[in-house]
Parts: sequence; C-alpha cells; structure tokens
Amino acid sequence: MIEIKDLSTIYDDFMALDSVNLEIKDGEFVSLVGPSGAGKSTLLGLMTRELTPSKGEIIIDGINIADLSHSEIPLLRRKIGTIFQDFKLLSRKNAFENVAFALEVSGAELKEINEDVPKVLNIVGLTDKAKNFPHQMSGGERQRLAIARALIHRPRILLADEPTGNLDMLNGYDVVKLLMKINEFGTTVILATHNREIVNIVGRRVISMEKGKVVRDQIEQGKYIL
Amino acid sequence: MRKAFKRIFRTGWLNFKRNSYLSFGTTGVMTLVLLLFSGLMVLNYVSGQIVSGLEDKVDVSVYFKNDSSEDQVMAVEQDLESQPTVAHVTYISKDQALVDFKAKHAGDALIQQSLAELVENPLQSSLNIKAKDSTQYASIVTFLEGNKFRPIIDKINFYENEAVINRVQSISRGVGNWGLILTFILALIAVLVTFNTIRLTIYNQKNEIEIMRLVGGSNWHIKAPYLIEGGLYGVFAAVIAIVVFYPMLWFISSKIGVLIPDVSLIGYFVSNVLQFVPLIFVLGIVLGVLSSYIAIRRFLKV
Repeated sequence: MIEIKDLSTIYDDFMALDSVNLEIKDGEFVSLVGPSGAGKSTLLGLMTRELTPSKGEIIIDGINIADLSHSEIPLLRRKIGTIFQDFKLLSRKNAFENVAFALEVSGAELKEINEDVPKVLNIVGLTDKAKNFPHQMSGGERQRLAIARALIHRPRILLADEPTGNLDMLNGYDVVKLLMKINEFGTTVILATHNREIVNIVGRRVISMEKGKVVRDQIEQGKYIL
Repeated sequence: MRKAFKRIFRTGWLNFKRNSYLSFGTTGVMTLVLLLFSGLMVLNYVSGQIVSGLEDKVDVSVYFKNDSSEDQVMAVEQDLESQPTVAHVTYISKDQALVDFKAKHAGDALIQQSLAELVENPLQSSLNIKAKDSTQYASIVTFLEGNKFRPIIDKINFYENEAVINRVQSISRGVGNWGLILTFILALIAVLVTFNTIRLTIYNQKNEIEIMRLVGGSNWHIKAPYLIEGGLYGVFAAVIAIVVFYPMLWFISSKIGVLIPDVSLIGYFVSNVLQFVPLIFVLGIVLGVLSSYIAIRRFLKV
C-alpha cells in the first residue's frame, strides 16, 4: 500500500509536484499519464528516494520513506523494482550477468545467483538469450532484460518510467503484456507513460497529471484523456 | 560475506588496472612522497648520531691552582658526585697529568727535553666531569662557580664543543623542517592527484554506479571498490619506494661511512626493517584511502 499525502516538490522556482494526494492499494495496476513535465518521473523518483520531497509524505507499507537513513535506502530499492525508457543495462555484461549484478551488489551468495537468475530470465522469456550482450538484443528484449533485473529481488512494487518510449508498437505491447502478467502474480505496477494506445489496451486505473497536479483519477476501466 | 569482499576487492583491482596510465602517474607521485619521507628519516637518524657523538665528547674540566691540597680537590669531587645531574667525575692528579702529557708528546724531543729541565711539575691537578645530559653542563658550571672552594679553582673549561653541537642541531633542525614542509606539500599534491584519479574512475563508471543504486546495491558495495583502488595506489607506491630506497641507502651509506665512521645507515635501516617497511606501507595506504574517501564524499552520491 502506497499513501501519498500532500506531496510537493519545488526545483528552484519550478513546481514539479503540487500537493499530490494518492492512495495505491497492493496489487493495483496504475497507469500514470500526462504530457512531458507533468511530474510523472518526479513522482516515481520520490518513491525510490532518488529525490526528496519539499513537503508532504510518501508512506510505503507504513513507513514514511523520507525518514529512511542512508543505509536503509538500498533496502527500499530492493523492495521496489524500476525500469526506464533507456533500459540502463551494462553493455559490457551479458544478459545473465546484468541480472546477476543486481544480486551481487546486494551481497547475495553465488548459489542464490545461479538459482534465481535463470528463473527470472525464464519469466521474461529470455532463457535462450542469457549469454547475449545488450547490443545483440532487440529493444524489446533489452527492456524485458531490464524487467528481469527489476524482478530479481522479488519486489512488491514495480515502477516503469516510459518503458515503451524507445520501442515500436509491437515490442511495446509485449512489454506491457509482461507487466500485466507480473501484476497478476501480485506485484503492484505503476506505469508512467504518454502512450495513448498502451494505456487504452491496459484499461485499468488511470491517473492523469498536468503541471504537477493530479487532474483526473479513473479508478476502473480508465482511458487516456487529456 | 567472503564472496562479497572478494567482489569488492576484484572491482577495486580492475579499476586500478584499467586506468593503467593514470595509475602509473598516481603511484609515481605517491612513491615520491614516501621516498621523501624515508629521506627525512635518514636525515633524522644521521643528525641524531652526529649530535650524540659530539655530546659524548663534551665534558667539563676543572683545573686547580698549584697551592691546592688533594683533600680540597677530593671535597670538590664529593660535592660534584652528590649532584643529580652529574654522571661521573674523574680525578687526574698532577703526577698523572704529567704522565699523560709525556705519553701524548712522546715523539716530540723538544717537549721532552723541556720537561726534563723543569724542577717542579708545572701541570695542574684536574677533575673531569661528565653530565647525564648535555644540556646540564651549564648548571654544573654554575654550581662550581658558587662552590665554597671556588678560590682554589684556577679555571673551568667547557665551552668548546657547545657551539659545534648547537650548530649541528640548528642545521639538522632547519633541514628537517624544510624537509617536513616539502613532504607535506608533496603529500598534498599526491592526495590531489589520487583524488583526481578516483574522481575520473567514478566519472567513467557513472552508469555502473547509477545501476548499482537503482537495484539496491548496498552503500558499502558501491563505495568500497574506490577505497580499495586508493589503497592499492598506496601499496604499489610503498613497494616501489622500498625497492628504490634500500639500494639507494646502500649506496649513500658507504659515502657517509667515510665521513662519519660511527654511523651505519644501512645497518640501522636493515635492523629496523620490521618497523620501517610497515610504516611506509601504512603511510601509503592512509594517503591513498584518504584521497579516495574525499573523492567519494564529493562525487559519489548514494
């Protein structure tokens, strides 16, 4: 459960987020829509403590994440998977190693890495590409690899920031279908996008933002309206 | 845990290896600092040896008038021995002084002849005083000046070596101070160079660092490889410095041995190798890790 209370973020003179109030229940699939600069990425950045709010609270599982100490932030980030438009993969590592890297840097044992990485690669359908490097994969495959990495810590929440931005319609659709499948297993998914078709295909809760404010919140069967 | 440490160490080592040119420069500057520091230690040791050698030769001689009796001289000796600053006192009688004098000038026919013609022994009886510490001679002289037997004392001889000692001490202090300042400046430069190298490494690995943070890499996992990298510069600099230092020392030692036969530089640094080598390593590692720590604080957001 994510509770956002009166959340504001100000960059110099620019109001990136203006008194946002939201409640997202466990297992929801939320599409966060709006034009560039509406505050979608800021909101996601605040949830992973990449950014700190100027005002207000984000409470995830009863903990106000602004109160987390430096050493607790990595633990929060293992609870929240993130994927981005530009994939953020390491070009010198192959698919298996890219996913394994996430486990290594959190101090996992070799046994755990060898057991878990093939499992998530299987979930995203990349078992036969495990030894391929990112440049040997298509855009859709790269994003699925990024999703595999995001899933490796079995996160409760998955944040997707424009995940289809660099993909064609077909690959984008594959990625969204994968996100919906992950959501069916119980992970809360928050998808920030300005891709109308994708949002309409998903047809779940749609939160529309504009100029840092929530302007519309369609709880069910939401459509992309601006 | 062991696996995690291995990974951190390996990443640090790779950072060090991949930056080969930069690493070379950084290690070089740090080696210079360590060599300069070693040089200071040599200087310190040599000047210490010279001063203590000179100090050994300092003493106070008190010469008594010819009309003084042996009892009076003995009384002065006892007085001196009761002083806490006095190490020991040697009595040299008139006869002994003559024997010594004759022995000293045994080869000089003119002196021998002159002595033979004398009816009376012209030499004075004396007391030779060694202090526990070279700084205490002045107070011993003051004590003698105030002694009730002062009238029987002809002269007090002390000042000769003092000037030489002061000179050696002030030169070595001056050279030491400048050396220390130079070492500090060079250490500062080494810190800056290492800091910059680590900063470049951090900059080159922006993507890796961003991803590590993204996937919840622990702060320790993100930062520690850079500390290891910094430490490695120190370790390699220490190795090079030691490898260069001992042959250099061996070379200088033979030259210095000619000038000051009592001082064995190489002997001193070989017998203290177990203190010296770890000190150089610790100094190198501290410099490297410190620079790295500053760079991390400044440029690595976690």
